[in-house]
Amino acid sequence: MLGAGRTALRTWLCSLCACACAALGAGAQAAQAATTAQAGPRAEVIHWWTSGGESAAVKQVARAYRGAGGAWIDTAIAGGDQSRAVTINRIIGGKPPTAAQFNTSKQFLDIIEEDLLNDVDDIARRDGWDRMLPQPIIDVIKVKGHWYAAPMNIHMQTWLWYSKAAFARAGIAREPRSVDELFIALDKLRAAGLVPLAHGGQAWQESILFSLMLSNLGGRDLYLRVIRDREPAAIRSAAFRRVLLAYKRLRGYVDPAAPGRNWNDATAMVIQGRAGIQVMGDWAKGEFTAAGQMPERDYGCLPGLSPTSPYLVQGDVFVFPKTDDPAALGAQKLVARVVADPGVQLAFNRLKGSIPVRPDVDLGQLDACARKGMAIVRDRARPLGVMEIYLTPDRNGALQDVLTAYWNTAMPVERAQDGIASALRY
Amino acid sequence: MTPPIRQPALERPGVPPSLPPSLPHPLPALPSQPVRTRTRRRRPTPARIGIYAFLATAALFFLLPLYVMIVTSFKPMIEIRQGGILALPQAFTLEPWRQAWSGVCTGAACEGIRGGFWNSVRITVPSTVLAILAGAVNGYALSFWRPRGAGLLFGILLAGAFVPVQVMIYPLVRVMALAGIFGSLPAIVLVHLIFGMPVMTLLFRNYYAGVPHELFQAARIDGGGFWRIFLQVMLPMSLPVIVVAAIMQVTGVWNDYILGLVFAGRDNLPMTVELNNVINTTTGTRLYNVNMAATILTALLPLALYFFSGRWFVRGIAAGAVKG
Amino acid sequence: MKTARIFPRIVPRLSPHLALLPMALTALVAYLGAALWTLRISLTGSRTFPSGQFIGLAQYQRLFDNERWMLSLHNLALYGVLFVAACLVIGFLLAVFIDQRVRGEGLFRTVFLYPYAMSFVATGLVWQWLLSPGDGIDGAVRALGFAGFRLDWIVRQDLVMYTVVVATVWQAAGLVMALMLAGLRGVDPDIWKAARLDGIPAWRVYTRIVLPMLWPTVATVLLLLSTAVVKLYDAVVAMTQGGPGTASEVPTKFIMDHLFLRSNVGLASAGAVVLLVPVLALLAPYAYARTRKEAA
Repeated sequence: MLGAGRTALRTWLCSLCACACAALGAGAQAAQAATTAQAGPRAEVIHWWTSGGESAAVKQVARAYRGAGGAWIDTAIAGGDQSRAVTINRIIGGKPPTAAQFNTSKQFLDIIEEDLLNDVDDIARRDGWDRMLPQPIIDVIKVKGHWYAAPMNIHMQTWLWYSKAAFARAGIAREPRSVDELFIALDKLRAAGLVPLAHGGQAWQESILFSLMLSNLGGRDLYLRVIRDREPAAIRSAAFRRVLLAYKRLRGYVDPAAPGRNWNDATAMVIQGRAGIQVMGDWAKGEFTAAGQMPERDYGCLPGLSPTSPYLVQGDVFVFPKTDDPAALGAQKLVARVVADPGVQLAFNRLKGSIPVRPDVDLGQLDACARKGMAIVRDRARPLGVMEIYLTPDRNGALQDVLTAYWNTAMPVERAQDGIASALRY
Repeated sequence: MTPPIRQPALERPGVPPSLPPSLPHPLPALPSQPVRTRTRRRRPTPARIGIYAFLATAALFFLLPLYVMIVTSFKPMIEIRQGGILALPQAFTLEPWRQAWSGVCTGAACEGIRGGFWNSVRITVPSTVLAILAGAVNGYALSFWRPRGAGLLFGILLAGAFVPVQVMIYPLVRVMALAGIFGSLPAIVLVHLIFGMPVMTLLFRNYYAGVPHELFQAARIDGGGFWRIFLQVMLPMSLPVIVVAAIMQVTGVWNDYILGLVFAGRDNLPMTVELNNVINTTTGTRLYNVNMAATILTALLPLALYFFSGRWFVRGIAAGAVKG
Repeated sequence: MKTARIFPRIVPRLSPHLALLPMALTALVAYLGAALWTLRISLTGSRTFPSGQFIGLAQYQRLFDNERWMLSLHNLALYGVLFVAACLVIGFLLAVFIDQRVRGEGLFRTVFLYPYAMSFVATGLVWQWLLSPGDGIDGAVRALGFAGFRLDWIVRQDLVMYTVVVATVWQAAGLVMALMLAGLRGVDPDIWKAARLDGIPAWRVYTRIVLPMLWPTVATVLLLLSTAVVKLYDAVVAMTQGGPGTASEVPTKFIMDHLFLRSNVGLASAGAVVLLVPVLALLAPYAYARTRKEAA
């Protein structure tokens, strides 16, 4: 039996080795075949739009690109940080993509400083981005006079979504128009037996609540002094202390099962009328739409707690890793032109839930909440960048650590202020 | 070839030794059930009931997450949003499974996770075969030949087994780029070989440590060289530990995500990348039912491997693979 | 073989060395090389890209000033002890019970082993659901009538690490069981006969005689489990994302977050070096004991 086993083992191992070699060979051949089959400017694009709605949105861009005569190779990788990690590793490894998605932030500042990105100055000049885009976004994509990214959309981070049914049950007659009215509304929701604030206990979601308080209660000036200028005096001021206390006060309105909850599960609570309000970016609109709800009928969207409150913008952009290959350069220019096209902007943003970066689009095709956003963005005094626009990823992360620790533990507010000061010091 | 030596009889039969005797291994003819005196019992004793009760309770604990996954994968999203994860589906639907395999969006393409299946196979097969071969050769050389410095190298390898994979990504990317193979199938196979080598070598080395040295010496006297003895004597009798090693390596490579993501290159992205695209969208809607279906689909291959080689797995380690 | 004929003396002596060349390359270039590279980078101010700008021990200073990192080390120690102990005990018990000539042994073995095959990305989410207060086990037990029952460990700062222990033990205990079962199957059957003749109760046979005999198996299982402890990452990310707050932070997650998400390769490298030090400290005595055993 041992002998038979031996020969069987040998044949089994030999066939496996043959399979392995064939697989390796086939893999190499397939890779070669892919590179030789070209039809027009070939662009490989890395992004992290992988859900249903996001897929539909990015397909609009791909379709437009193909319509312009190019070949769009889609490389989707879920998870922003993983996608960006792959982009950076591919740049280091010498096989960069044609274009890659980043957030409007300092994430790609290092890549610019290492001179690893191509610029898109010609498209920027042609379309007048200096006049068209909100200032916070210009601050991030225009470095040392050159434009290094093509903006795709504008998201706003601190919309207040509320369930009309829940408000009716709690007897809230009109939308809150100040921070104090917000707390009154939350109290009424609690009294009605509902969860006042739908929240997912993850660090980035807690940062959104903090941003809401800092922008609405602290105001534009304090926000910039703390986040952009990182002044220790501002961080230790009484005004900032009030902001932190108001932020912590929100925790009293959150249900005990919140820690770890995904943001869309919190939105589901509002959709079902079990919770009153959620503070979340405008990507939450997709959840409402998927559940068959209509803005102003089933749910309401508040861009801020006063008519002049800062509108916290963030967005997605495409960067173009450095290359001298004329074919790749041509593809990059084509991608940038397609992304900036008004028709593509409208088609993409309608499906994504964000708003276009250009003001010259047909507003009639956007829903009520998006139209509110477009009107606000046009007022150049209101847009303010989210924290990651002003802070390096490292500082932003360290700040998030302090905020989430403050939210979750019995940390005294002074210690939180000290923690934030040291987090923003590096 | 001398047959393997059977275990020695106890010095004084009937008396348990105070110190355990060391048993020479391997024992390839070991039955899967221990041989004990058979007594037919009519009624199960409390002890037997206790045994089955314990095992059944443990099985419930182990099966609970699988139950939740299966039940969730047959519910529509509306029902899932209402909560009640332990409830049976009220509106039973097969749509999540169809979507997971061939319809769900993983980017601009909406073709489910089936595309990644063959990529994963293409990565797993060479990675497993090469890693097992390398581990076998290493273990064989370490156990019988013991060249100078090999012990130190093995120590470095073992220490390396503790290093989190992410830490080594940057240097490996640089080295692969220098070698010109970054982002290709050979790159990912090489990476899996590097990360699999410590455990593979450990398994084979411990296994061969249990093979009686007389066997090796007899083969040398017969005129065998390094490779001859390996290919004709040692490798054929390593079938049990090969199966063990295959199971561990296949599971590790099949479920790997980060290495495949970074090193495989766009055309060879494994199934786990697609699975992650389905599960972990950043700001898009999450389809939990499709997630669960996709996860179960992805796990089917290692599960099938366990199921069909489960007996071998246990028997393999019996023959000394895990002796320290 | 032709080469053997041409160099009849050299090749046989070189063969083991040549055969170990892949291992030597892997150990020296991949592992040792990467370790030295990481050490060098930890002394620089690298951000997104590794840079050559030396800043001495500043990264280590920042590391030990960082509450999140110190908490992660503490969590890892706590987790490590509990995870290894629970896996060993549960794995051993399961193996012992399955060894008792139970019917459907194959089925039980598959049931206990299947978690090992599943990717933690999804199973972690399922565990999060199961341990969530309100839904999950908490709600189900209350629905059964035990109104006072609460299982809210996963949302409590001081208890969340125990939930990670539960989920990872669920995944790993089956493997430990399989390894222990094989070790048990290697035990001399005559011992059972002898024990029965002497009237020694089964449990004492297990604890006094069999367990010491299994020591080599246990040692290897300990090694495998320890590597899993140090590399703990997927479970934490999938179940708790390091939360609530930073309560379930672990070193590998800290390193990974700073490596890519926060674009701070220097700090991540410093963390990796600090993580490696206790590993080496534990491995060195083990290696020393082994070399002494082999010399004997």
